[in-house]
Amino acid sequence: MNKVTENLRQTAAKLLKDQEVEMVIGYGLGSEAVRTQPVFITSPDDVDKLVWNPFCVNGLTKYLSDLKTLSGKIAVCVKGCDSRGVFRITQDNIIPRDKVVVLGIPCAGQMSYTKLASKMDVTGQLKEVDDKGETLVIKTSNGDFTVKKSEVILDKCLKCESHNPVVADHMVGDKVSVTDTPDDYDEIKKYEAMSPEEKAKFWLSQFDRCIRCYACRNSCPGCTCRECIFDAIKPDWVGKEMNLDENELFHLTRAFHLAGRCVDCGECDRVCPMDIPIRLLNKKLLKDCKELFGMETPGSAEEGGSVLGQYRLEDPEEFM
Amino acid sequence: MANKSLKKDQLKNLLNKVAQNSQLIAPIQSDGITLFRPVKSGEGVVLEYQNSVMPPKDYFFPMSEKMFSYDTSDPSWAIKLEEGVPSRVLFGARPCDVKSILLLDKVFDAEFRDDLYLDKRNKTTIIALSCNECRHTCFCGAFGISPGEAEGADILMTDLGDRYLVEVLTEKGEKLAATCSDLLTDDDGSGAGAKEKAVAPAKEKQLNISIEGVKAKLDNMFDHPIWATESLRCMGCGTCTFVCPTCHCFDIVDFNNQSSVGYRYRCADSCQFGNFTRAAGGHQPRPSKTERIRQRFMHKLRYFVDRYGDTACVGCGRCLEKCPVNLDIAQIINKVKEVG
Repeated sequence: MNKVTENLRQTAAKLLKDQEVEMVIGYGLGSEAVRTQPVFITSPDDVDKLVWNPFCVNGLTKYLSDLKTLSGKIAVCVKGCDSRGVFRITQDNIIPRDKVVVLGIPCAGQMSYTKLASKMDVTGQLKEVDDKGETLVIKTSNGDFTVKKSEVILDKCLKCESHNPVVADHMVGDKVSVTDTPDDYDEIKKYEAMSPEEKAKFWLSQFDRCIRCYACRNSCPGCTCRECIFDAIKPDWVGKEMNLDENELFHLTRAFHLAGRCVDCGECDRVCPMDIPIRLLNKKLLKDCKELFGMETPGSAEEGGSVLGQYRLEDPEEFM
Repeated sequence: MANKSLKKDQLKNLLNKVAQNSQLIAPIQSDGITLFRPVKSGEGVVLEYQNSVMPPKDYFFPMSEKMFSYDTSDPSWAIKLEEGVPSRVLFGARPCDVKSILLLDKVFDAEFRDDLYLDKRNKTTIIALSCNECRHTCFCGAFGISPGEAEGADILMTDLGDRYLVEVLTEKGEKLAATCSDLLTDDDGSGAGAKEKAVAPAKEKQLNISIEGVKAKLDNMFDHPIWATESLRCMGCGTCTFVCPTCHCFDIVDFNNQSSVGYRYRCADSCQFGNFTRAAGGHQPRPSKTERIRQRFMHKLRYFVDRYGDTACVGCGRCLEKCPVNLDIAQIINKVKEVG
C-alpha cells in the first residue's frame, strides 16, 4: 500500500471516529484495473475502501452540492485541479466552508483510462501500482503491465497550474515537486487566429454530435443552479430537440454561464462521451477574463467570487 | 441461400454498389471516434472497430425526429406527416446491436405499431459484421449473443482474413445480394468452420458475466438498500441511456416559435433526468438518483423480462465504458447476485 493511501485511511478513520465528519468522499477501486470510483464512507470500519493511485481522475467536489443537506460535516478528497472546486462551491454559497473538511492530495498527474485501455488488458482487478519515475508497473489479477507515463497521462495534466491542492485542512501526502506549468493558452491562440467561418465550421461540427447527456454540466462544480436553464420547461429557453441549433445554444450558454467562474478542472472534457473539446470554450473565456480583469483562475483563493458578478471603477469598458 | 464469399479487396466495390442503389449507413471515424453515418461510397468506411460510440439505433429510433408539422392559419388545420426515409442499407452493425433492434421491435412493433419506427425498420436492410475481436467492456455472451451470429440481420459478413464469409439470412438479404452477385462467389464449404475460428477471440476474451438468477433476485429487490448505495456516485447525466442500444424512452414536444406554423417532434429522454418523471402539479415519483438508477437496472433486467420475455441489455459495454463515475452494469449484475 502506498503512503498516501495509508495516510488517507488513517485520517478518514480518525475524522469518522471522532465524529468530526459524517462522511468521507474519496476514491475506491473501480470495476476495471485502471479505473477508480467515487466512494462515500460513513463508518471508520470502511476506510479500507479508500485508495489513492494514478487513476483517481474524477473531481469529487460536485458531490458536496448533492450532499449539502447532510447534518454533519463532509470530508472530501481533492487534487490540485479540483481543489479549486471547493472554493467555487463555497463562494457560490452552496455549502458553508466550515461544513467541509478538505483532504488535500498532491498529485503528479493522472492517467487516462481511454489511453490505458488501448495499451493493456484493463479488465483485471488492480493489485498494486509501482511508480518507477518514467514508467508505471500496473499489477493486476490478469498480469503485470508496464506503461510509459508520458503515453498515458491525461492531456490536461501536461499543463497543470497547481499540482498541490490550493486548500487542504489535512494534507495527506507530501507536496509533489513537479513544476507547475500555468497554461500558455497556445492552443486557444490557434483558434483565436481562425476566421469566423473557420471557427464556426470547427465548432458546429463538434456540437453536431452532442447527445445532450449533460455529463459536462453534471460533473461541473460551477453548475449548481437550483433549476438549470436547460431543465426549465416553462419557458423552455433551450429546446430538447437534438439538432445543431439547440446544441449550439446549449454549449454556448453553458460556457457563458461559467465565464469568470470555471475553475478549469477539466472534468467536462473527461466526461464527454462524444469527445467534444468542451473545455476549450471555457479556456477561451478564462483567458479573456484573465487578460481583461487580471483574474486568477477562479477557486484559487477562498475569497473572491465571480469577476463578472462584481463591479469596480477601474474595470475596462471599451465597449460602452 | 447457400453461403457466399467476398474477396477482401472487393468490399469497397460492394459498398460502392450498395450506395448507388440505396442510402448507405456505415461506421466511419470522425474526430477520432467511430460513428454510424450516411456515406456516399465505401470510401472511409472503417472495419477495424469493436463498437461504435453511439449504437446504430439512431437510424431506427433517432435521438430526435419530427413527427408532423401543422399550420393553424390553414382553415382545415391539416396535419402534414413527415415523408418516410429512402430505402437504406445499414452496414457493419455488430451482433449485439442487431439483437438490440430485435428488442426494439418488441416495443415498437407490438400492440401499438409505431409508424415512424416501422417505416425505417422496413426500409432498412441490415448487413451485420461478426466480431473478430471484442472490446474490454464486451459481455454479449451473458445474454446468449454470439459474436458470430446475428439473428435479425439480413446478411451477416465475417472477416476470414483474405475474404468475407457472406451469410444471406433473409429474403431482404437475398434481394440485396442479388444486386451484387457479380462480386460474390459461392463459399467452398470451408466458411462455417473458418468463422468459428475467426470469432473465437471475441468469445473467449470478453467479460465472463452470467445473469442467471438475476431476474428472480430483482423481483424482490425494489426496496433493497443497494440502490441508495450505488446511486451516491451517480451524477445524474444521461450518458448511459443515450449510448445504450436498447433504451427507447422519449419525450414529445411541440415547437411553434409563437407563429401559426409549427411541428411536433419526439426526442430521446432519459430516466436518469429529474424532469423525466416530473408531473403536472410538481409531483415527482422518482425524486432522487436512488429511484432513477433503480429504474434503469430494473427496466433492463426485470421489467423488460416481465413484459417481453427478454433482457433489455445486450452486453455491448457502452455504458460501462462511458459512465464517468464507473457505475458499471456488469458489476451491478454481480452485486445483485451477491447481496442478501
